Amino acid sequence: MRIKKRDNNQEVNTGSMADIAFLLLIFFLVATTLKQEKGLNLRLPPKQEEEPINVPMKERNLFKIMINSNQDLLVEGEPRKNLVGLKDEVKLFVLNNGKEKNLSETPKKATVSLKTNRGTKYESFIEVLDELKGAYYEIYAKNIGLTKKEYLKLRHSDPDQYKLYLKSKEGIPMNISIAEPTF
Amino acid sequence: MGKFRKTELGETKISTSSLPDIVFLLLFFFMVSATIKTQDELVDYQVPNAEHLTKPEKKFLIKELTVGFPKSDLLGKVPRISDGQRFIQVDDIPQWAAKAREELPENYKDQMIVLLKADLDINMGLVADIQEKLREVNARKILYRSTEEPK
Repeated sequence: MRIKKRDNNQEVNTGSMADIAFLLLIFFLVATTLKQEKGLNLRLPPKQEEEPINVPMKERNLFKIMINSNQDLLVEGEPRKNLVGLKDEVKLFVLNNGKEKNLSETPKKATVSLKTNRGTKYESFIEVLDELKGAYYEIYAKNIGLTKKEYLKLRHSDPDQYKLYLKSKEGIPMNISIAEPTF
Repeated sequence: MGKFRKTELGETKISTSSLPDIVFLLLFFFMVSATIKTQDELVDYQVPNAEHLTKPEKKFLIKELTVGFPKSDLLGKVPRISDGQRFIQVDDIPQWAAKAREELPENYKDQMIVLLKADLDINMGLVADIQEKLREVNARKILYRSTEEPK
């Protein structure tokens, strides 16, 4: 007896391919975390080996902000209830250029000092730091005619945008000093 | 009056032959963009909200430190520092920083960014201690992890 030869044109069924791929996809979705790296950046001052030589700083070049352990705010010696208007004050202070007697001489010399207490909540610290950074970013953005949002989106890896970024900061370093907390 | 004649159409099927390709594309995206979680977080933390966030251009420079409250109740309610694998003490931070720096390529060793994921409820005392230690080993670029306020 002869056995009839089967059709040679058989194809592998690929219908279940999608299911397999979905399974793998779901595994990776569950097992992985995307790295989240957005945040407020800051550069800490270098470690001083010896007692620092006390370079007297002119009072007018220093914008003092303090937060105590009750999260109360003290701005330039005045108690504050909230952060309203702080951004504008910092901007005025930095861009004063010697006009007002009690504000900074030049943007280069202007320093914003943020002092906390050991009992201050991290949240309050970040809140104030955010305002300070916002003030500087607004200055930078205005320098090159962008909005703050556009400014923050500048990509440093792009040479043209990097040039713009450097131009915006010219002569206005972000002098935010985080003083060591008091007990 | 003419009657509308129902045209009989054969059953139309959407071809699903490209579905595996689409799914594979998604799969590869996730495989490339994600890092595999090796261990569960040791501490609970909720990062504070902020508006003016920046994103470092070179992601590989980032080394993470987490500060928060231990997940396990047995470990108490005092904020602890975790490097992702184990709890570390404030005094261990210089060693941790040196080790983290080792992993970077030679020409980027001085550019390490420490990403501090801290709970919004911890005290500045602890944060200051960490910063003090980081300054000691010259790891001075710090990034306070925070999220944009939900609108």
